[in-house]
Amino acid sequence: MVKLFINIGNKVLSFLYLMGGLSNLAFQSFYWTFAGPHKKQRILEQAQKAGVESLPIISLVALFIGVIMALQTAYQMQRLGSEMYIASIVALSLVRELGPVIASLVVAGRVGAAITAEIGSMQVTEQIDALQTLATNPIRYLVVPRLLALSIMLPILTLYADVIGIFGGYLICVHKLGISSSMYLNITFDSLLFKDLFSGLIKTIFFGMIIAFVSCYHGFNVEGGAEGVGRATTRSVVTSFIFIISADCFFTALFYFIFP
Amino acid sequence: MIFGKTRLELKVGIFVFIGLVILVTFVLLIGDFKTWTSGYSINFMFNFVNGVKIGAPVRFAGVDIGEVKDIEFVFLPQEKKVKVKMIGWVKEEVKIPIDSTVWVNTLGLLGEKYVEIMPGEDHNNYLSPDQTLVGADPIAMHEMAELARRIAGNIDESIVKIKNKEGTVGRLLYDDTVYKELEALITDIRKHPWKLLSQPKEKPKKR
Repeated sequence: MVKLFINIGNKVLSFLYLMGGLSNLAFQSFYWTFAGPHKKQRILEQAQKAGVESLPIISLVALFIGVIMALQTAYQMQRLGSEMYIASIVALSLVRELGPVIASLVVAGRVGAAITAEIGSMQVTEQIDALQTLATNPIRYLVVPRLLALSIMLPILTLYADVIGIFGGYLICVHKLGISSSMYLNITFDSLLFKDLFSGLIKTIFFGMIIAFVSCYHGFNVEGGAEGVGRATTRSVVTSFIFIISADCFFTALFYFIFP
Repeated sequence: MIFGKTRLELKVGIFVFIGLVILVTFVLLIGDFKTWTSGYSINFMFNFVNGVKIGAPVRFAGVDIGEVKDIEFVFLPQEKKVKVKMIGWVKEEVKIPIDSTVWVNTLGLLGEKYVEIMPGEDHNNYLSPDQTLVGADPIAMHEMAELARRIAGNIDESIVKIKNKEGTVGRLLYDDTVYKELEALITDIRKHPWKLLSQPKEKPKKR
């Protein structure tokens, strides 16, 4: 019985520690982000890692998601005889929801894990302490470039994912379901509104921040050598996923009420 | 070949540039910027618009030519009535005859409302910018339902009468006397076609 309470207390406390550490990290990073100046080279390196190198896998996933969306909606729409609406369903769900979430989850798994592993091994080999000894702020040197790179690159990756996903739906609709190509494009862009596009893109800026903060936080808090780095990496990916999905739920609800 | 720092910058630069191109394309395609094509605005007056929203399409002879820009109420002192004024934006090249009729129509099964203009016959006078076209009111749903109910009531009444073998139609349907008479007549005439040519035996009455 006592053990149960200890367990509950442990969980609550560790969650509070996580939130506290994250907000601490977030405030310091924002301070250093606005305080500047930034090393352009370091931001570009991170942008290359987070953005350019994630593009192939995100394209692949987005293409398949587009194909899947088209086929799954076709399954139901063919019964109603309204295959025309497949285009708008694919476009809306990709641009509003699937594009941002797929892009963020792939980046969280790919880049977030790498960030945690990198910072974690620096922590384990006491390089972070060395940085501090050299009067270099580790947050300014390590977190800020990653934060900037992720929150700039993720919206761009989302745009790529949107276009490629719509192209996947286009392939199925035009070559399999016999909808004419210009009709598909017309319906796609008729059904999209500015608020759909921008609510999708604004979300991803915050998702990028979440990935940067969570993976840096877990990297800084590694304990216990190489094994600890592995554990921290797992935890960082899991935490990012949970935070991204719950933030997505929050933003969807928020935009639903702001732009009805 | 470019190496090192410049190569990195080039890669990121191309990536971001293509992203921005996609963004701009999206924005242009979604907005399908009508402001680039020139047009003029005309006004429509309605008593009832059945839920037309700003941005609803305006169709002339079934072709999309513009959209509803604004909807506002106006009070007409001479009629002592509040009317709905819709400001519609139409393309420059579309000339609308001044005697065209305008009403609110429903599109497809999803019930999207739009403004339909049926071209008139007067091809000498066209609507000039900011002129007003008075619209025919769409029939409100409840009025339609009321009408349908009345018609159904009437039909129902007649059918009940027919079923009860009342009235001429009822008797015709259920009583075979007329049929038998007709049959007998036709058989008779087939047998004796000359009967048709025969004069009636009675002499016409003298005046």
